Amino acid sequence: MSLRVDAGGQKMAAPQEQARVKPARDPARNRERFYWYCLWPAFVVLIVVTLIPTLYLIVISFTPLDLTRPETNWDFSTPLVNYNLILEDSRLHNSFWVQIKLSFWTVTIQMILGFLFALLLNSKSTYLEALRTIFLIPMVLPPIVVAIIWKVLYTPDISPFHWALEGLGFVVPSLITDPTWALWAIIIADIWEWFPFVMLMILAALQMMPEEYIEAARIDGASVWQTTVYITLPYLKGVLIVAALFRLVDSIKAFPLIYILTDGGPGTVTEVTNFYSFMQAFNFSYLGYSSAITVTLVAATVVLSWGIVRLVGWGKAHD
Amino acid sequence: MKATSDKSNQANTKPQAGYSRRKILKTAGVLSAAAGLALPARIGYAKEFDGVTLQGASFASTFFKYLENYFPEFEEQTGMKVNFVTNAFPVFNQRTDLELSTKGSALDVINVTFIYSGRWIGAGWVENLKPYVEDPNLTPDDWEYKDFVGGTMAALVDANGDPHGFPWEAGAMIMIASRGDLIEKAGKKLPTTFEELVDVCEAINGVERTAAFTADKLHHWNYIPYMMGFGGNVFKDPPGNLTPTWDTPEVAAAADYYGALLSKYGPPGVLSFTDDQAMQTQKTGRANIRTQAITWGVPVAKDPDSRTKDTVRYGMVPGGPAGAFPGSNSHGFGIPVGSKNKEAAWAFIKWAVGKDISRRMLEEHGYPSICRQSIIDSELFKETLTLNGQDVASLYGEVLKLGGDSGYMKYRTVPQFPQIGDKINKAIERVATGQQNGTEAMAQAQEEAVADLKKSGVQIDL
Repeated sequence: MSLRVDAGGQKMAAPQEQARVKPARDPARNRERFYWYCLWPAFVVLIVVTLIPTLYLIVISFTPLDLTRPETNWDFSTPLVNYNLILEDSRLHNSFWVQIKLSFWTVTIQMILGFLFALLLNSKSTYLEALRTIFLIPMVLPPIVVAIIWKVLYTPDISPFHWALEGLGFVVPSLITDPTWALWAIIIADIWEWFPFVMLMILAALQMMPEEYIEAARIDGASVWQTTVYITLPYLKGVLIVAALFRLVDSIKAFPLIYILTDGGPGTVTEVTNFYSFMQAFNFSYLGYSSAITVTLVAATVVLSWGIVRLVGWGKAHD
Repeated sequence: MKATSDKSNQANTKPQAGYSRRKILKTAGVLSAAAGLALPARIGYAKEFDGVTLQGASFASTFFKYLENYFPEFEEQTGMKVNFVTNAFPVFNQRTDLELSTKGSALDVINVTFIYSGRWIGAGWVENLKPYVEDPNLTPDDWEYKDFVGGTMAALVDANGDPHGFPWEAGAMIMIASRGDLIEKAGKKLPTTFEELVDVCEAINGVERTAAFTADKLHHWNYIPYMMGFGGNVFKDPPGNLTPTWDTPEVAAAADYYGALLSKYGPPGVLSFTDDQAMQTQKTGRANIRTQAITWGVPVAKDPDSRTKDTVRYGMVPGGPAGAFPGSNSHGFGIPVGSKNKEAAWAFIKWAVGKDISRRMLEEHGYPSICRQSIIDSELFKETLTLNGQDVASLYGEVLKLGGDSGYMKYRTVPQFPQIGDKINKAIERVATGQQNGTEAMAQAQEEAVADLKKSGVQIDL
């Protein structure tokens, strides 16, 4: 083998011999290929479980599919009929407004309570650890159980809450049948169920927060309030946005509480959009119309989430 | 003795020959004889539906609480296991509607709900039972298909008159006053008109912590007699013309009237009551008057745990300016077309609505909504439905006759009634909670109903 010396004095193989040496595989490319191999089963599942049903949903939203009328299956003669109905349906419009109120109040109050409780429970103590576990109970209960618990609490005949108030001489109307209170009855139950989720996320982030930040601020003479507003909150920004987005999306999916507690009533005071869509599909068999409502709802949720992220950013606390 | 010993010794001393031909023949003979004797017994012991699990579903009713008591003997007779699930009325209807629409096989026997009968039978989702009834191998002559009260079959037959279900409940709406004593103490009588009803409610409301009126939340059943009593109607001319007629002064007045009964005289939370809850308010004496099917009225007098069994009184549903229109209906058992156990399902239906079980339900549990004419005509029926000295059996017959003669219940079995009924429910809730008055609520309901009917492809006059 002939050798030549390069400018740096290193020995190199002659060009014709270099050509004979088999080029080594690029490890980065191999790794990437391996990742793809690992990912494709997940993609297949995603396509089968999510994408195909979503596509089907979109497709049938362009038909007047009514299960009691087989001739409406795959009838694309008036593809926009359901979307035109959406524009005219005042009960649906009302459900959008109910949804906005429900989402706004549940997410806002859950974020505030979750943050406050996380701050309170953020210290190392066995007593507080036990308390944290207790706070998590509502979140881990099946939603139907949560709904039944609140149904009992809101039903005057069997409610310990009503008995106690009656014993004290106060007659409180049934919250779930009072139009002023029915939505708040749902909001209260939803907050009870889900603020621990926000608390848990914030608590996890707080426990990762370097203590030096707080110590440094204190040395500089910052008050507790200032430390919270200028140090803790900016640090938590990313987590808060993720938690709020989770809760926002979940609030749009709110169903068991409404189904069990109020059935959308009294009247349509607690009838949110997905509940209305459910009724159209499963009580009245209007699958085409229900699909159109669902497609609209999904689109609105995606746009809303994207807008929030664009507006607030993902949180650059660490920058 | 000796000889025997010798023989036996000989036998014992013979080398073990294993299974000799004689031994094999002998054993085979014994086994054949045994098998010959045992086999017919074994065959006789086999049951027709051994290994079958019958899946049934209905909405919750006292009928099923009573029927469950007889399941063990039916399972013993047939060999099948019965798994019958009951849910709240709207939950059952919604689930079954979905199951039937997909022609699934999860259910073998279902309740064909009155308001869904037109929809389910019309769409071909429920099995035609005519071949089962007419097959002598499946149905004996003494089962007597014609013994079912005519009106109760009306909702369960198709356009050709073929049965798709057989009724277990003939619902007849009556008035039940659980604290009749309070009405008497107030110097009043059981009301017979809408005016009297309000007058009585005004006099007794809150007395001894008893609300004057109670109801469940199925307003599209409870409110209609008031709507018709005021001179209104659900549709222009059902089933031919389904144009809703709710934007009339009569319908609005009825909505205001019925909404006030609930809001002024109902117990707290009345708008969320299920059938069971409303019945409980009467059995515990927390509420007094209810207009509802007899099925929910008789337990107030019959159930041992009822605190008002000695004070309950029964009467006809009060009438309005246009007359009295007590609701009547029927619910029946049917077989989903997707069922994989149709013969077992038919065996169950045949048994559950047979004369024997119907009679025992009446005799042992006081179940009143009997659909068999031969039992309704019996002395037993009259005796059982004489409650606190009142002839409730006659009330029952009168209501069924009223509904059957004039056909005013036809509105209820049109395929679109589920969605139309929802609009009425919501309108009454809005009126009872003061969100709207009768005129506004019913006008809005009419608008929504028209949109829904158009969605269903129904031609209407508007």
